[in-house]
Amino acid sequence: MSYEIRNVNGAAVVALNGDVDLQTSPLVRQKLLESLEGNTRVVVDLSAVNYIDSSGVASLVEAFQVSRKKGASFALASVSSAAMRVLSLARLDKVFTIHPSVEAATAAQG
Amino acid sequence: MARQAPKQTAAEKALPPDVHAGREVRDHLGLLAEMTREFTASSDYKTVAHSALARISNYMGAEAASLFLVSDTGEALVCSACYGPVDITGLNISANTGVVGAAVAAREGALVRDVSENVDFGAAVDAKTGFKTRSLLVAPLVLGTDCLGAIEVINRIGGDGLFDSEDLLLLETLAGAAALAISNFRLTHKIVQQERNQHELELAAEIQRDLLPQPSSRDFPIHGINIPARSVSGDFFDIMPMPDGRIWFNVADVSGKGMNAALLMAKTSSLFRCLAKSAEDPGQLLNAINNELCETNFHGMFVTMVGGIFHPGTGLLQITNAGHEPPLHFDLRTERFIAIPADAPPLGIAQDIAGPDGFPVTELFLAGGMLYVFTDGLTEATTFGGGMLGIDGVRALIRDHAEESPDLRLKSIAGAVKLPGQSLRDDLTLLVVEDMGIAPIGAKPPIDAQLSVEDGQIMRVRIPARPDRLKLIRSATEQAAKYCEAPESWIFDLKMAVDEACQNIIRHAYGNKGDGDIMIDYSRERDALVVDIMDFADAVDPETVKSRNLSEVRPGGLGVHLIKSVCDDARFVPPPPGVGNLFKLTKSLPNKVS
Repeated sequence: MSYEIRNVNGAAVVALNGDVDLQTSPLVRQKLLESLEGNTRVVVDLSAVNYIDSSGVASLVEAFQVSRKKGASFALASVSSAAMRVLSLARLDKVFTIHPSVEAATAAQG
Repeated sequence: MARQAPKQTAAEKALPPDVHAGREVRDHLGLLAEMTREFTASSDYKTVAHSALARISNYMGAEAASLFLVSDTGEALVCSACYGPVDITGLNISANTGVVGAAVAAREGALVRDVSENVDFGAAVDAKTGFKTRSLLVAPLVLGTDCLGAIEVINRIGGDGLFDSEDLLLLETLAGAAALAISNFRLTHKIVQQERNQHELELAAEIQRDLLPQPSSRDFPIHGINIPARSVSGDFFDIMPMPDGRIWFNVADVSGKGMNAALLMAKTSSLFRCLAKSAEDPGQLLNAINNELCETNFHGMFVTMVGGIFHPGTGLLQITNAGHEPPLHFDLRTERFIAIPADAPPLGIAQDIAGPDGFPVTELFLAGGMLYVFTDGLTEATTFGGGMLGIDGVRALIRDHAEESPDLRLKSIAGAVKLPGQSLRDDLTLLVVEDMGIAPIGAKPPIDAQLSVEDGQIMRVRIPARPDRLKLIRSATEQAAKYCEAPESWIFDLKMAVDEACQNIIRHAYGNKGDGDIMIDYSRERDALVVDIMDFADAVDPETVKSRNLSEVRPGGLGVHLIKSVCDDARFVPPPPGVGNLFKLTKSLPNKVS
């Protein structure tokens, strides 16, 4: 798995690439929490995620909970079908704010 | 009533003083021989008795003769045959009264020489019939210590019309022969009746055998055997395949023995066949049978039954046990048994006792194992050693014969308690359900298991239990699923389930230490892919590995929920020797699009 963090319209966009599993999710968790420390708007780009497991989902949930405590905005964007399958099985597709694209997400947050 | 009983015995008086006497004796013997021949030659009692009375009357020169027999209750004497101008057949007189009653009670002959000189002679019958009795002889039909009744002879023809003591002596001799003939006739009649009953029992037994299912073919998953202790049985079993591939089965034991038990068995068996066609599960079915049986009063008789339905595609068994001997689930890999106790009462005792869903249903996956259902005729049978077989004996027999074909296995188990040519103390019924399509790893498959080319094991993976190996495990899972030609979305779900199960091993069974292995067997079992995920850690309490409530949004605890969401079955099963835990995933393959 790889990741890339860039700034789009004032939001931190964390783009994940590859498999988010027990091996890689600690890194994902760390990057998401770091992003939330320095930003009030965070978008996670899941378009290139081939696989995400329960530990990856747990990292997303934890970041979401931290954002709410801080009053920050946290959204998922361009969710791949693999990631969407897991989110819907976990019944989290209605919990997260999900946008069809990063642009739509940052526009909505702005 | 006065009567003149002879004081001499028949033997003392049977010595005639002159040459005529010799001819008389020959004539008497001739008459006796003739009567005996008639009694033994015919089965028509009334005709023979009438004919004998005619012979006696003619021989003695009497007007009429009657045969009175003691009724079944012993309280009356009934005229069962007569000869003469008036027919009094069927006339019923109280025992111990009248000349006849007194002769029977005392077991001595009676002579009323002239009834006009006897003030006690009851003329009631004469008054009814218009017959005029002048002189009367009665001889009891004595046989050993029993008295069957008496022969009465009335009015001598010619002369003064009165009998004398020699006439009584003759009648007593004839009565002795008649008693023997009647007794023989009754015995013969009894034997004929017994033979008729036996024949009817054999017919009933034949009908009962027809109610049992035909022997199953070798590759069918359910087999049964029934050995009645008598000609008819109170036990039964049934196997009924449904059009959708599921198979209903039952084993039942009717309380009591003999014909009434056989009738209740026939009724219950019909109810099972009829109601199973519309029942959803065995809990509903047995509840419906119970309510139907309660509608009919079977005088306190009841039925214990294990009813079930088997899904051969998945190995799922649904069972309801109504007061029956607990069936045994035998796991071939571990050689462990699990008994399924009765959680419903016997059928036919109390109506409407179950809730709207019927009786409780136990669900289990055979997973390559077998289910044995039997009656107490097996557990309570006497072994060759003389003791009772008991449940431990049954388990030992199941283990000892595990590798035989099902048909042979059932015969071997029953043969351990039934000596050739000897009958059992109780009916014995034994049924086995087994997963024919599964060849358990590490255990030899049944010798007649027919695995087609596409069934069976696909591959085995053994890999260190570390997070950095999960990608390899997902890849292996993908390859196994692709081997079964599963579509992409199906493969993704299975990959996720196996991955989540392996995560649990890494985190919980090995505590993130990364010092153990995970072994995974991928098998194609009929229309499902089965993944056995094994570790070599200490046993995990399955209760601690549960889905969590998803309404609570928090990190962690999702894995088991994800697994259960995408698999048809996921559970811990007893592991083979040397393995710590075995988590078995079963996921049905989608139907191929033709």
